Amino acid sequence: MLSIKKIKNINLYNLFILVFLISSCSSMNVTEEVVYDGGIRTVEASMQENTELDYETKAIFTNATVYFEFDKFNLNSKSLQTLKSAVSAMKDNQSIRITIAGHADERGTREYNLALGQRRADAVKDYFVLSGIDKNRISVKSYGEERPASFGSDEVSYSKNRRAEIN
Amino acid sequence: MKKALLIFILFSQPIISELVLEITKGSDDPYSIAIINFDGPKNINNQIGSIVTNDLNRTGEFRILKDNQLLSSPVNQEEINYDDFKLLNVDFIVMGATSQEDKSNISVAYEIYNVNKQSKIRTSTVYGIPNRLRQLSHYISDGIYEEVTGIKGVASTRLLYVTEQIIDNKSLFKLVVADADGENEQVLLRSREPIISPSWSPDSKEVAYVSFETGMAKVYIQNIASGSRELVLENNSQISSPSWSPNGKFLSLTLYQDGNAEIYILNLKNKNLTRLTNHYSIDTESSWSPNGSKIMFTSGRSGSPQLYEINLRKFNAKPKRITFEGNYNAKGSYLPNGEGIVFVHRKDNSFQIALKYFNENFVRALTKSRLDESPSISPNGNVIIYAISEDGTGLLAGLTLSGARFRLPTKIGQVREPSWSGFLR
Repeated sequence: MLSIKKIKNINLYNLFILVFLISSCSSMNVTEEVVYDGGIRTVEASMQENTELDYETKAIFTNATVYFEFDKFNLNSKSLQTLKSAVSAMKDNQSIRITIAGHADERGTREYNLALGQRRADAVKDYFVLSGIDKNRISVKSYGEERPASFGSDEVSYSKNRRAEIN
Repeated sequence: MKKALLIFILFSQPIISELVLEITKGSDDPYSIAIINFDGPKNINNQIGSIVTNDLNRTGEFRILKDNQLLSSPVNQEEINYDDFKLLNVDFIVMGATSQEDKSNISVAYEIYNVNKQSKIRTSTVYGIPNRLRQLSHYISDGIYEEVTGIKGVASTRLLYVTEQIIDNKSLFKLVVADADGENEQVLLRSREPIISPSWSPDSKEVAYVSFETGMAKVYIQNIASGSRELVLENNSQISSPSWSPNGKFLSLTLYQDGNAEIYILNLKNKNLTRLTNHYSIDTESSWSPNGSKIMFTSGRSGSPQLYEINLRKFNAKPKRITFEGNYNAKGSYLPNGEGIVFVHRKDNSFQIALKYFNENFVRALTKSRLDESPSISPNGNVIIYAISEDGTGLLAGLTLSGARFRLPTKIGQVREPSWSGFLR
């Protein structure tokens, strides 16, 4: 004789899936279900207009990129050299505001690299602040490994991608 | 949960225990099933047949025999000559019939027979829409899978991932949802700026992700059906790495407002924030244990990225380090049965997907290539989908804990950051 062992009833949106598990002497499962195939809507991300720096400011900072070792965020002597001229430019022109964007190479996880990029940008910011630049003139952000400068998967590319860009 | 638990017991120790479920084989020795051509419209049955076969093959747990490999092709129970199947070492027979009532209704009835017991063990009917055969087929695959293995199938679940295409020298990023086999792609979000870390809400109706569309990483929640989306938190600094609590009420996040990456828990209802970590090193990539009692995260506090766990039920609990092998262990997630973790592990300069069971003191490397990342575990705990890089192209690959490996169909551009939905069926 048939006896209903278990009835599971799940409501998904307004459709339903009904699973009857009926057991008989030979233990056979009987099920009936309606396929739920939900719709999807596509959204376009709104784009923020980049507030472009004036020509002069851009010219001064075009080459202000400093590089880092793997999983490191400390500044080396070459980086300090690069940053010195940027500091003096900022001192000379009080209207200049900068954004420091930190980046990582593709190795390692994306979120950890996002955090690492932030540490790199912060290290640069700290140098500016220690050199007497008002911290309110500096904003920092990270792109992690999402915006590589070089697309190769080798140490040459990696070393170009572990960077902080000053704009 | 019990069923998911079962398979891990079976894989980790070769003990055959008395259980309600009939699991007769490990997967070096796959289940042999004969799928007889379904009765009904041929073109529809061919489509269904190939989707089901593909689904079952991907699990790595089946050897599938079709009509032309069989000694007889019965169309009903009376016609089955079990000896014909025993001779071919077939364990199960699947037969069925498709009927299309009208333009908007189709149903597939299928039956499963156990050859050794010489009896019918399941009879099922799935109702669907004729032009949406994929999900209907996945339901059949999952019905067969769960009947034979005793474990819920994931063919009817979905994947979320990010693609990047270069068009006119500019990147176009898409957040895409697709069936678990990579087919039926649908775009959730299109953006000119990067999208990372997508994850499903526990009920699989919403997704959270990081979008750089404002020029800075921010976390959004988007409803899949309606497309409505919101910024989870107004904040001047960047926000990233969202992870839903199992009850869907909280989102753990990485906030940078303290001048460093710290993990917070956001109450989605009242927007209250609770700080979870406080350390000058990087703390990020949080994920919740299946019962919501613990949060695992990546921290650089030991000098290299390692995984830590924090007990949410204990007041003022200190993070406890849980990985010690190697100098890079990151982006961990718990197995659905809570018995172990899957994460990215660096070995000999390669980044691999690794598994560690809590009751073992060693790391099991699951992959061997150089740049594997972003592992995400299927809701039944049997399959891991992850991102690989091949000649500079990002692809998605999968592996089952029973040893099968597969790749999702190649797409245009780069594919990355897969995330597996919960059960949808």
